[in-house]
Amino acid sequence: MSVADFAFYILAITTVASGFCTVVSKNPVHSVLWLIASFLGAAGLFVLLGAEFLAMLLIIVYVGAVAVLFLFVVMMLDVDFAELKAGMAQSVPLALLIGVILLLQLGSVIGVWQFSDGAEAARAAITPAIEETHNTMALGQVLYTDYILLFQLAGLILLVAMIGAIVLTLRHRTNVKRQNVVAQMHRDPAQALEMLDVKPGQGL
Amino acid sequence: MMSSDIQIVLPEILLSVYAMAALIGAVYTGKDRLAAPLTWLTALVMALLAVMIAGGEGAREGFNGMVVDDAYARFAKVAILLSAGAVLVVGTEAMARRGLLKFEYPILIALSVVGMMVMVSAGDLIALYMGLELQSLALYVVASLNRDSVKSTEAGMKYFVLGALSSGLMLYGASLVYGYSGTTLFGGIIGAANDGHVGMGLLIGLTFVLSGMAFKVSAVPFHMWTPDVYEGAPTPVTAFFATAPKLAAMGLFARVMFDAFGNAVADWQQIVAFLALLSMFLGAIAAIGQTNIKRLMAYSSISHMGFALLGLAAGTEFGVQAMLIYMAIYLTMNIGTFAFILSMERDGKPVTDIASMKLYSRAEPMKAAAMLILMFSLAGVPPMVGFFGKYAVLNAAVQSGLTWLAVAGVIASVIGAFYYLRIVFFMYFGDEGEGVQTPMAPAAWAALMGSAAIMVLGAINLFGIEGAAAAAAAALVN
Amino acid sequence: MVGLEHYLGVGAALFVIGVFGLFLNRKNIIILLMSIELMLLSVNINLVAFSTYLGDLVGQVFTLFILTVAAAEAAIGLAILVSFFRNRGTIAVEDVNVMKG
Repeated sequence: MSVADFAFYILAITTVASGFCTVVSKNPVHSVLWLIASFLGAAGLFVLLGAEFLAMLLIIVYVGAVAVLFLFVVMMLDVDFAELKAGMAQSVPLALLIGVILLLQLGSVIGVWQFSDGAEAARAAITPAIEETHNTMALGQVLYTDYILLFQLAGLILLVAMIGAIVLTLRHRTNVKRQNVVAQMHRDPAQALEMLDVKPGQGL
Repeated sequence: MMSSDIQIVLPEILLSVYAMAALIGAVYTGKDRLAAPLTWLTALVMALLAVMIAGGEGAREGFNGMVVDDAYARFAKVAILLSAGAVLVVGTEAMARRGLLKFEYPILIALSVVGMMVMVSAGDLIALYMGLELQSLALYVVASLNRDSVKSTEAGMKYFVLGALSSGLMLYGASLVYGYSGTTLFGGIIGAANDGHVGMGLLIGLTFVLSGMAFKVSAVPFHMWTPDVYEGAPTPVTAFFATAPKLAAMGLFARVMFDAFGNAVADWQQIVAFLALLSMFLGAIAAIGQTNIKRLMAYSSISHMGFALLGLAAGTEFGVQAMLIYMAIYLTMNIGTFAFILSMERDGKPVTDIASMKLYSRAEPMKAAAMLILMFSLAGVPPMVGFFGKYAVLNAAVQSGLTWLAVAGVIASVIGAFYYLRIVFFMYFGDEGEGVQTPMAPAAWAALMGSAAIMVLGAINLFGIEGAAAAAAAALVN
Repeated sequence: MVGLEHYLGVGAALFVIGVFGLFLNRKNIIILLMSIELMLLSVNINLVAFSTYLGDLVGQVFTLFILTVAAAEAAIGLAILVSFFRNRGTIAVEDVNVMKG
């Protein structure tokens, strides 16, 4: 067994086992952490497959942003998770049954994966040899030319996500005092300060 | 990328540029005060784009086949734009009355329409996915637009979870399809399934993609989100859900089935026929016990989707034509019906109880008559236009040898007629009830009356929609 | 180098775990969202594996877009979740009946 094979098995086991722990874990904080472990394992698999750029992206976007967002929400919402877990036991047999059936079905197909006869010829963007360009550059060369339309659509999707998050969660509270920097800077000492001559023995 | 590529997606580009300009404009000026004019403006832009698209000719491919502009895409886009614009206009006043008219609402709708337009003209699995997600993400947000209501946010939550799940299923299928055929282009996938031999990988992929899309058209057994979302979402949003996205999902369904899996018709025909059968019956039977008119409309839409799938299950050009006609009629009926449902209220509070319509005909004979026509048309009673839609799909099914399915369709539509007629019965003959008021803005009134008038007058020649649908079907099935 | 089937196996296992998690945690929305993320991850593994073994970059481009969209999806999902929690005080949705599917 070569080093690459060994690395594959380690990473594959990490990914799958962490994924499993994500869904069965009792504590949602642990779930998020297992999810991160699973993503890290998958990123390792991507590196083995020669997709370094995606591996880095997975770590930056998922571990760095999405998983942290999950963690943030789990911590922010004070949820009684014990109550939510109560009904879990009775779903186990059914969930297991469905899982096993699905796994057997998929296993029968992917156990001996066959490409179609025309698959080689149908390729739209053949990977350039590693000596020519590296993975990131190769991706960039197709992403901003052939796939520019979809790239722009992805931008629209992110815009929708931004609008959505603002519409649903931004609240302007009326009883909160806010700092208005411009108003503060334009305050005139002449108006803000008033000199009074206080006579002895008298208050204001 | 050349200017010819840009030409093909010009309507999409214009609509998204409009949406972004409107967003920036509204944020820096009047914000929610501008919401009503912005809604009208959005509807106007959509109508103009529909006119622009309707003038197109021929079949073109852009971005290396990633987007397709043919008669089929144009038919679907025009219907999507017009119905979305109509629903925006009809719903404005009702949204404003409930204090929900935020300026983001028309912008999100416009962006979701961009997604739908990409969906129906997709020629590539990635383009399909991006269009679908753009549409869905915007819809998740508008479903929970009433963020202070438990029902609305719960509707958004359910819609989101099940929608994301269906995207996941579909993507897994798409990955297998890509792996088998070596390409994501529909043109390449259809080549991988030639001479009647379909590989196992492609077949499993097809099944997953099919179930993902069945979710989007809310076909049984993937329908369970529909009633809850219809009930929970603000009514104008429900009206939107029942129209344009349904057509877009149906359009996408047919597009994928014929463009990508057109060489494996026998493999998906059985599944689609099965989905159609279940949807027709479950929609008809489950609606009987409903007391809430929004839930009833949800089951009604499930049943109607079953009939539309019936046309698709025929697997022929004639079937696609029937499906398009059916969907166009369905959209028109639903806009009218929802214009009425939107306005139902008692003491300023919205009501959705069917029993509240008791003896409605005495208070408002005109509107009651319009509803009577719409209900008859939804039930498929001749000579209303709704009947011709049902006739077209049943005929298509019989012609391609699915007689058993057509017979089942007739039975389902007879069962379904019961609950539409029950509403009519309540309006005309029920006993004294608490009653309901239906103050309508001119736009909603016009939509109700207009759609009822179309249901009667259209019986003459269906306004020539048959020709357009035939051209569209011919472009898709070749 | 290990075969394509090995990677597909990892993908299938993760996908099944995702589905399993959906059925197992029908009430707990946060774990539901994580299960969906796992399903998307399995799709990504599939696509990248196909991409490498076919010598075609399209699979990686697809993955790139899925990553982008999934991040947007997570943001919207959590935003809806937060406003739902504000109204209900719990994240248990009764009968998000994935079962009937």
